Amino acid sequence: MAEQPLDLDSSPSTPGEQEEGEQEECIGKLLADSSFERERHLMFLQMMYQMLPHHYQSQEINRLTLAYFAISGLDIVGSLDTVDKDEVASWVLSFRAYPEDIAEINDGEFYGFNGSRSSQYHSDDAGGFSNNHSHLASTYCALAILKIVGYHLTSIDWRPLLMTMRNLQQPDGSFLPIHIGAETDLRFIYCAAAICFMLDDWSGMDRDKATEYILKCKAYDGGFGMTPGAESHGGGTYCAVASLQLMGSIGVDPLSSRASSSILDIPLLLEWCLQRQASDGGFQGRSNKPSDTCYAFWVGAVLKILGAGKLIDEKALRGFLLTCQSEYGGFSKFPDELPDLYHSYYGFIAFSLLEEPGLNSICVELGITEAAASALRK
Amino acid sequence: MNWEEDEEKLLPSQRPEWSDVSPLPQDDGPNPVVPIAYKPEFAETMDYFRAVYRADERSPRALQLTHQAILLNPGNYTVWHFRRLILETLSKDLQQELDYVSKIAEKNSKNYQIWHHRRWLAEKLGPDAAGRELKFTEKILSGDAKNYHAWSHRQWVLQSLGGWDDELEYCHQLLEEDIFNNSAWNQRYFIITKSPLLGGLQAMRESEVKYTVAAILANPENESPWRYLRGLYKDDPKSWIHDPQVSTLCLKVLTSSGTNHVFALSTVLDLLSHGLQPSRELREAVDTLNPNSSSTKDSLGNTICSVLEHADAMRVNYWRWRKSQLIV
Repeated sequence: MAEQPLDLDSSPSTPGEQEEGEQEECIGKLLADSSFERERHLMFLQMMYQMLPHHYQSQEINRLTLAYFAISGLDIVGSLDTVDKDEVASWVLSFRAYPEDIAEINDGEFYGFNGSRSSQYHSDDAGGFSNNHSHLASTYCALAILKIVGYHLTSIDWRPLLMTMRNLQQPDGSFLPIHIGAETDLRFIYCAAAICFMLDDWSGMDRDKATEYILKCKAYDGGFGMTPGAESHGGGTYCAVASLQLMGSIGVDPLSSRASSSILDIPLLLEWCLQRQASDGGFQGRSNKPSDTCYAFWVGAVLKILGAGKLIDEKALRGFLLTCQSEYGGFSKFPDELPDLYHSYYGFIAFSLLEEPGLNSICVELGITEAAASALRK
Repeated sequence: MNWEEDEEKLLPSQRPEWSDVSPLPQDDGPNPVVPIAYKPEFAETMDYFRAVYRADERSPRALQLTHQAILLNPGNYTVWHFRRLILETLSKDLQQELDYVSKIAEKNSKNYQIWHHRRWLAEKLGPDAAGRELKFTEKILSGDAKNYHAWSHRQWVLQSLGGWDDELEYCHQLLEEDIFNNSAWNQRYFIITKSPLLGGLQAMRESEVKYTVAAILANPENESPWRYLRGLYKDDPKSWIHDPQVSTLCLKVLTSSGTNHVFALSTVLDLLSHGLQPSRELREAVDTLNPNSSSTKDSLGNTICSVLEHADAMRVNYWRWRKSQLIV
């Protein structure tokens, strides 16, 4: 997950839009595919893996994230053998930032992974200023890719990364993604939690403070906003709940326990999530907004964590997603639009949650396949 | 800042003032993964940017170059960071920079880096910037009344720089334009709970309930005001179940024909779970909606779930589960 791809907004909606949308949706459904076209998606992913068209140059800074979508996507559709695992691992590791010497550990910077070459320079080019623009989201993507290709993470000493990650945590518990300054919101608490979880080392963050911030983001309707006071949002709710899950704050099978979680109002959260399934079968990110492919994952994953995945209307969701399936392979945000790598990835992952045959199952709180998440690969 | 389009079209290699600089190409390593097919214009602009960034050249021409790089890749936080360093070194007029951001934001209103840059500027300018920032977000919201970044910035401005006076009225205007705007409802909640000019949630509850009830009666199928109403009684379930306005509202909606009853029903279910003692009228209104008349001996909660299984068929699995969880 990185900055640009987590698209907070669908296009603006007006009161009449829903009706129009429904008409278009009916027509769209007549022409839509009736099944998940795995071969088409495989071709799309292989094409993206080989070369991203120039339209993606505006997302250049998030290259590692784009790589995560392509590689994890190939893993989900069961074609990870497309990639040269060693080549990928060494390429990912080439983005790692190292302190010049151990004393620099206390210079306030974060020594993780850069997201692209446009913010990374050879150490001899450093000049008199810092060229380390390690980013939390890039670091999450880097580690996720390494896990996917089966790289043995234990072969590296991650202490510099974890120790300096604490520099990014703010007094209120939130995280900056980068030491030079940026917005702080739930996305980066999620990245930090996922990083600690994958490295199996929680020294990288103060979990209690992070939990405090997460709970401040609870909105009055049961969902979570990106920041305290913000509107409840599918992406924010995923970041909140997945983080709590990773940190171990949500018990096993939270729906069944009579004594509900002391920190989450599970009934309210549950109803908020389920209400996000709109009349067209798709999931919306916020109340009264159009359905968008990616929320099938952001909200669907929360429901899975709560043990409520089966309470949705799977058939209706499938129907909606198929109207977003592109004839070129991949998925678009809305029906009958051109596909992009981000929405394609979340389309694949959503179909995996729907247990589409031929797709590998997902570890929802990490956003990678279960096989990748477990240590047993390779 | 120089806005002339002709100027912007010239690449650095075509300009004499850049002849002393050697562009620094991207080193993608021996086996690049997921390479991007950069257009030549992009590659060249970034090569020159890399060169001035490495040299830490904080000059007017470097500032102009960050603008060109931003146009091509508005999400590049390294470029934005360097731009801020140059602005500081050259002691540039920050109000002018706000003009710059306003122009760039027209086509990039959902870009995190632009909003962060805006916040950085506003922080430096202090409380005097409040009015301008509220106007700016208002402009963005007039094009997209649900722009999440704009709302986030607006909330930050109010809390850090002030300007609360007209905010509730602003929300009301937006709701007049679109009563379904959940962002505006959320902002309303933000104001009544956080504004130093108002008395807080409890003090505002009475007037807000009236406002919300009117909105619900106008469009009972609108989820937003139902959630807002519930939110007005946050952490106070006793008031929630004992306020006659709430059960009266539900009764009104349930007894109107041709109306969407779903939220009214789920609200009654919620009230019951918090201990509401339902009136006979409420019981009758729900029974009237029940297609299966043989189950009149069921609890009210049970009946509500049965109705919802049909009225809210998308969530049939949920309502069946809710029924199974009821303590009969």
